[in-house]
This record gives sequence, structure tokens and C-alpha cells, in this order.
Amino acid sequence: MAEPTDTLEESLPDEIHAKLSDILQPDETIHFSTTSDIRLDGAFGEAWLLATNHQLIAYSPDGGGPPDIVRLPLSEITSIEVKDLVGSGQLKARTANSGATLSRFTKGLNPKFSDVAKTLETLVKEAQPGIENDKLLRGKLARSASGVRCETCGTVIPPRHDVCPNCLDTRKLLTRLLMYARPHWKLGTLSLFLLLTATFIGLLPPLLMSELIDNVLGPISLSDPLFKKEDAYSQLYLLVGLLFLINLSQSSLSAIRSYILSKLGQHVTYDLRNEVYQHLHQHSLSFYNERETGRIMASITQDVGRLQDFISDGLQEAIRDILTIVIICCILFYMDAKLAALTLLPTPLLVYATLKFSERFHRNYRGLWRRWAGLSALLADTIPGVRVVKAFAQEDREVGKFQVISKDLFEGEVRVAGIRSIFSPIMSFITSIGTLIIWFVGGGSVLEGTLTLGSFVAFTQYMFRYYGPVQSLCRLNHRFQRASTSAERVFEVLDTQPDVVSPPNAITLPRIEGKVEFKDVAFSYEQGKPVLKDLSFTIEPGEMIGLAGHSGAGKSTLINLICRFYDIESGQIFIDGHDLQDISLNSLRNQIGVVLQDPFLFNGPIAENIAYGNPDASLAEVVAAAKTANAHEFILRLPDGYDTPVGERGVRLSGGERQRISIARAILRDPRILILDEATSSMDTETEAQIQEALHRLIQGRTTFAIAHRLSTLKHANRLLIIEDGELAEIGSHDELIAQDGIYARLCHMQTELSKLRAL
Amino acid sequence: MSQLTNELNILPQDAHFYINAFHDLALEVTGEIYENVTVERAFPLKAPDEFIVVKDDQKDEIGIIENIRQLDQDSLDVVQDALNQTYYLPKIIKIHAIETNFHIPKWTVDTDRGPRMFEIPSSRRDVRVVGGGRVLLRDADGNRYEIPDYRKLDVESLAFAETIL
Repeated sequence: MAEPTDTLEESLPDEIHAKLSDILQPDETIHFSTTSDIRLDGAFGEAWLLATNHQLIAYSPDGGGPPDIVRLPLSEITSIEVKDLVGSGQLKARTANSGATLSRFTKGLNPKFSDVAKTLETLVKEAQPGIENDKLLRGKLARSASGVRCETCGTVIPPRHDVCPNCLDTRKLLTRLLMYARPHWKLGTLSLFLLLTATFIGLLPPLLMSELIDNVLGPISLSDPLFKKEDAYSQLYLLVGLLFLINLSQSSLSAIRSYILSKLGQHVTYDLRNEVYQHLHQHSLSFYNERETGRIMASITQDVGRLQDFISDGLQEAIRDILTIVIICCILFYMDAKLAALTLLPTPLLVYATLKFSERFHRNYRGLWRRWAGLSALLADTIPGVRVVKAFAQEDREVGKFQVISKDLFEGEVRVAGIRSIFSPIMSFITSIGTLIIWFVGGGSVLEGTLTLGSFVAFTQYMFRYYGPVQSLCRLNHRFQRASTSAERVFEVLDTQPDVVSPPNAITLPRIEGKVEFKDVAFSYEQGKPVLKDLSFTIEPGEMIGLAGHSGAGKSTLINLICRFYDIESGQIFIDGHDLQDISLNSLRNQIGVVLQDPFLFNGPIAENIAYGNPDASLAEVVAAAKTANAHEFILRLPDGYDTPVGERGVRLSGGERQRISIARAILRDPRILILDEATSSMDTETEAQIQEALHRLIQGRTTFAIAHRLSTLKHANRLLIIEDGELAEIGSHDELIAQDGIYARLCHMQTELSKLRAL
Repeated sequence: MSQLTNELNILPQDAHFYINAFHDLALEVTGEIYENVTVERAFPLKAPDEFIVVKDDQKDEIGIIENIRQLDQDSLDVVQDALNQTYYLPKIIKIHAIETNFHIPKWTVDTDRGPRMFEIPSSRRDVRVVGGGRVLLRDADGNRYEIPDYRKLDVESLAFAETIL
């Protein structure tokens, strides 16, 4: 395990210092000393790397033998190299005529050794003034690969968690959760009151039973001359009546309580769910990029549901269980303290067994769940790929693969079944010990006459009611954990501050001309990996700009920045002379229309999809927009016309049809700035012609940014921006750029060659 | 098939590997000398000794060693050593404990390279059974470990392993 070490200065143990004393000159001082966790011979263990004012020393104890000591004079070092290998890393230094590996380390120390390498670079530069700088340090160590560690405590943060569970205060979390219940405190208090009453009443019947045996049924056998049958009957009726009342009130109380509780839980869920969803929409795209869709969806559906379950069931059950245990103990000890103490003896055993079993259960169930997941993954993989399986005649192999996984699952199930089948018998056996004690000790007391028969029976009944709550309290911890994980995920969504926000005194843009100006704009999605560097250009209103360049050059990023889906790192972007940062987000995006390569339609009628950006548009406007977008005809061919539902994500329409709807959507919005992101790729020629025509109408009089891989689609562009490695490589009209004979000319040339090939 | 494999740039058997003055791996083949070469496994799991790709210091492929056992003994030793350094893969010989804290199982083990503790964030993603009982593990920081055959572990270790596999 990697212990995060902040400092490179670790104090050198005296024994190592003593061993190095022969090597060190009297005037040598140690600049820094640091440890790694793999020795030079490849075994795990502490090894040292030291830098003095003269030399680098690697000191690595060799299992049993003499230590490995490597020395390199600082003044001769020509390069320092870090190697990021598979499963470990190395630090190597070279001089003009030799070289040596100085340290080996596990990946957890990557950050530390990145720093070590930089420090060494500085030291070497100090020792050799005037050395050529840029070649001294080579290689790069990647950050942690699969897991992420908490920055404060170094604990590994579980996947899909995002919050360090160690630094998380469970109690604080649950208190915060309860704050959501506070507006409904009346309901809460009422249900708690009902809960207490119902629990109390529920514990009365054994007492009645004891009364019945001792004072009504018992005396009969004594044939007491003073015994009056009528009195006994009236007492019997009284007890029967009481039991009836108790049962009735208990049932009705619990019915009311459960309704109130569910209502309370639903209230909290309702508030929380809406708050989470509302908050989600305030986040910028980077929030979504960093998280999986399923995970975000789960926090709205699953997590919130679990919290409700915890508030309405978990908490209350815990209170009820504790209360029941306390009351039963009181009653038992009141009836017969000695017997009570003996009866409760098996409790620790029961607690222990329950804890052990639930842990094993949990572990094995998880394993089982993994095997099930493996099986589903295989199915999800093969069934859609059945064409390939058949084409290569690999049915038998697929069946074989399935059987292997299926066998695994079988074995897992059998193991869990084994645990499950011994669980209940063991539990009943432990509880039966209590009965044995009551029979043995209590029975004796009855014979001795120190305990009444009624108390004996009541004892037995209470004992059985006692074990249930004890067991469920044992499982409470697990429930608590689950709820706090869910709470932490929900609160994580709520606590993340949106990173792209309108400033407090944002300008509301009037209808703009469409002038776009970039001034030294730099941007990166991840720190240290710049996507755009010092980009500057000015686009006049109404101009159509084609964006071209290799994939990954930064074209889509540029467009994301105009929409302000992300905030830039440095520089400024101006729209009609206003800094993008000063404009309210809504008024900016209201003037931008987007047509994407794979247009996203929402489940609903076509008309609604066209009017997505302008819900108030009249039907006439919708039809006009569809006509301009060349979509009117195919829409009318559908039996339900504009009311045809498009299906989830628009699956019921073809790609070209979806595209024309999204163009109609953009037309209806009448944006001043239009963005076409690969709007015509992956269409057949005829569809493309129709779409091109529609687009041509759309771009009239608007500032347009079009990204296209097929350069022929950019022929209407006034100017072309060629982006290369995040920098503006070329700008100008088609003819100008061809004359320049640069990147664009080369791209054009390649595509003509390609289309010639295709034509063959 | 033979026509297909003709395209592969298989190094001749007299290719000689040695460690140069810079403690880098070097290759001498058909009269040419390449300093500071790197060796990479094409099939790290299935065939760790076969199809070793040799690259020069610009990371361009020089050729492929079909099987390192065909090399002369000195070359074999240095190539083997270089591979072992690149693919640092301690073998787990005993599992002392797997404790789950905050959903993360923390393993305490003995390996052939010494004792070690590590965390595996997601057993589903980072634990792979690759056939013949061989298990590959990747810890939170990207370090790798293997259990050569989990079925041959001692009873205590096996009990721990089975809850994860």
C-alpha cells in the first residue's frame, strides 16, 4: 500500500548514515533523502535515494547480502529518466559514458517520484550551470490508474462513490438527512408517539395470559370451596374483552402509524428527488462528462428511494426494537430477576452468531451477484452478436462458454444455499437454549412454589419476543451503512457547485448581430493537457465559417466554448463586443442554434420536438419550419402526421429524417449564431442533397460555424479555420488556402484521391 | 497461413542481446547495433516468452523474437531480466487477510517479492481469472499481482480467495 508522503525529506536512519559514511566526503552535505518501496533487486522493501551536493546515491539493502550501492556524480549526469512500466516504475540516470537505475517503485509512488525527478533536475542544473535544459528530464509517470485516492487521508475511494467514505461523517450525514424531515415534524412526532404506544400495548398480552392462568383457569383444579364459577366467568370475559381491545387498538394504531410514516417518507423523497433533479440541470457538461449516466440516474431513483426506506422503516424499526428489548427486560426482571438473568444468557451468543452469519452471507451474496452479472454480460454480448456467431459457425463454442459460467453460478448458489440452510436451524437452536433454561430453572421454581404458572408461561412468551428485535438490531449497522452511502451520493450531487454560472449582474443580450471574437483563448478539459492554445480570430456577422482539421484537433471544443458549455482557462471570448463571462447564460444560448451529427430527439410527437426550443410556437410556425427544413413531406406521409411519436431518442425515424427535424428545430428558434456539427455525415447522397438544401436556407444571414470531415460540404463557407493541435494553423477562403498549399490543401488533396478511389 | 506470417519481422536466431555501458539493453543483429532497446510482450498472459517485440529507443519496432528460448543463454538472461522489470508481477503465495473497509477489500499477502498490502477498488474489474486457476489482480494504484493457481493455495488463503472470485 502506498503511504502518501508529502515531503521528499525523510530523515535518514542512523544505521544507513553510518554505512554511507565511507562514501561521503567530509565536506559533503545531504540535500535530500527519500525512500522507495521496491529494492533494486526487485523485492518489496525500503530503499533509499540520496542527493548530496556532489553525487546521487542509491542505497538498497539486498536480502542478506551486501547492500546495492549505486553512485553517480551530479556534475556528470546528462539525463534523468522516469519509466512508467507495467506494474511498477523506475528512475534512471545517465552520464556521458554510463548509466544506472537509481530507484524502483510501485505505482502508488508515481506522484512522489515525479517530484523526485524534478528535484533531481534542479540539482543537476545547479551542479552544471549552462547545461542544455530540455533534454535533461525524460519520461512521464501517469497518475494512479484504476482507483482514486482521497486527497486528505489516502483512502481508496470506491468506484462510483466520488466521496471519500473515511472522511465522511456518517452521523452528520444522517442528521442532515433528518433535516429534510423537519418541515414534517408534526407527522414525525405523531408517528413516534403512535409507535411507542403500539409497542407498549403489543407487549401486554403475555401479562393477560399470566393473569388468566393464575387467577381464572388455575384455581379450578384446586376445587376450592370458596371458588365461585360466576366470578371466574366474569373475570374470563373481562380478560377476553381486554385482549380484544388490545388487539384491535394495536392493529389500528399500526395501520395509522404505517400510513403516517410512509407519508412522511414520501414527503422527504419528493422534496429530495426534485431538489436533486433541479440541481442536476444547473451543472455544466463537465459534471456529466465525469460521471456515468447510469450512476446519475441511480442517485435520483435508487438512492433517494433507499433514503426513504431508511427514514420511514429503518429508523423507526430501530427505535421500536430498542424499546421492545428494554420493556421486556424490565418486565422479566420485575417478575423474577434470577430467572430473567439466566434466560437472557444466550443473548451474546445470538448476537455473535447473527453478526458472523450476516457477514458471510453478505460476502457470498456479493460473489453470487458478480457471477450473475457475468452471466448477463455474456448474454448481452452474444445475443446481439448472434449474426457473427452464426457466420463463423461458433455456436458450440458459445454454448461451451455459457456452460462454464453457468457452472460457476451453480456452485456459488449451492454454497449460499448451504449457508442459508444452516442459518435458521442454528438460530432456533440458540433460542431454544433460552427455553431449556426456563423449563429447567423456571419449572423448578414453579414446583417449589416460588413462581406462578402464569408467570412461567409469560416468561416463555416474552423470551420469544425478545430475540427478534435483538437479531434485527444486529443487522442495523448494515442498513445504516447502505443508507449513508446513498445519502452521501445524493448530497454529493447537491453539494457540487455548478462551475459555469451567470455572474450576479449578468447582461441580458439583446438580439445580437453575430460577431464572434476569440482573444488568446486557452482551454483544457484536464489540467496539463491543453486542448486549445492561444486561439485568436474575429468572425463578422453573417459569415459562414468552416472548421476543419484532424479529429481531436479541438474543433468541437471550440464550439463548446462559444456555447459556454465550459469556461475557458485564459483569454476572452466576445459576442458582439460583450465578454461571454458577463452575459447571462440563458440570453446567450437563446441566440444559438445547434444541429448535431446525431440529433437527439426526445420521446414525444414530432411537433413537440420541432418546437423544443420555442414551446409557444404556433402550429403555422412549426409547419413553416418543417417546410424550410425539407421535412414537411415525409412528416405528412406518416399516418399521424405531426403528431407521430418519435419513440425514445427518435428511434422510429431514419437518420436523415431526424436530422431534418433538428434543422426545423433550429430554424424555428431563429438563432443568430448557428452551429452545424457534422450535420451531413453518414447520409446517403440524395438525403444529403435535401439536407444541404435545407441547411443552405437556414444559414442565410446567420453567423455559422460548420464542422465537417468531408470538405466538399464546406464549399459555401466564406472562410475556413484550420485547427491543428489546438492552434489556429490557417485561416482564409478555400481558394486562398489552396494557394497557400498548407494543411488544408493537403487534406483536400487526400479527399479527392479518396473519392476517386471510391468512384472506381 | 505461411504467406500471412511471412509479413512478420522475425529476428534471426543469432540476434544477440547484452547490457551496454549505460546499463541499457542493447541488440546486435545482422551486423547492426541498437542501443537502449525495449522489449514488450505481445501476449503477456498467454505466451509470456513468445512474440517479444523489440523496439529501438525511438519506440519503432526492430523485430520480433519468436521465442526467447531460441536465443543464446546470455541473451536469454538479459532479455528475461528486462521483461521481468517491465512486467513487474509479484506472485501471491499466501493470503493472510482480506478485510473490507469502506467497501474496499484490503489484501494482506505474502508474495515471492516479500510481504505486501494493497487495496482492490472493484473486484469485478480488477480481479481476472484467466483460466487454469490463474488470477491476475490490479490494485488501486495500478500495481499488478498474480496468483499462479488459486486452487493450489493453502486452505486459509483459499477461503479468502473464494469470497472474491
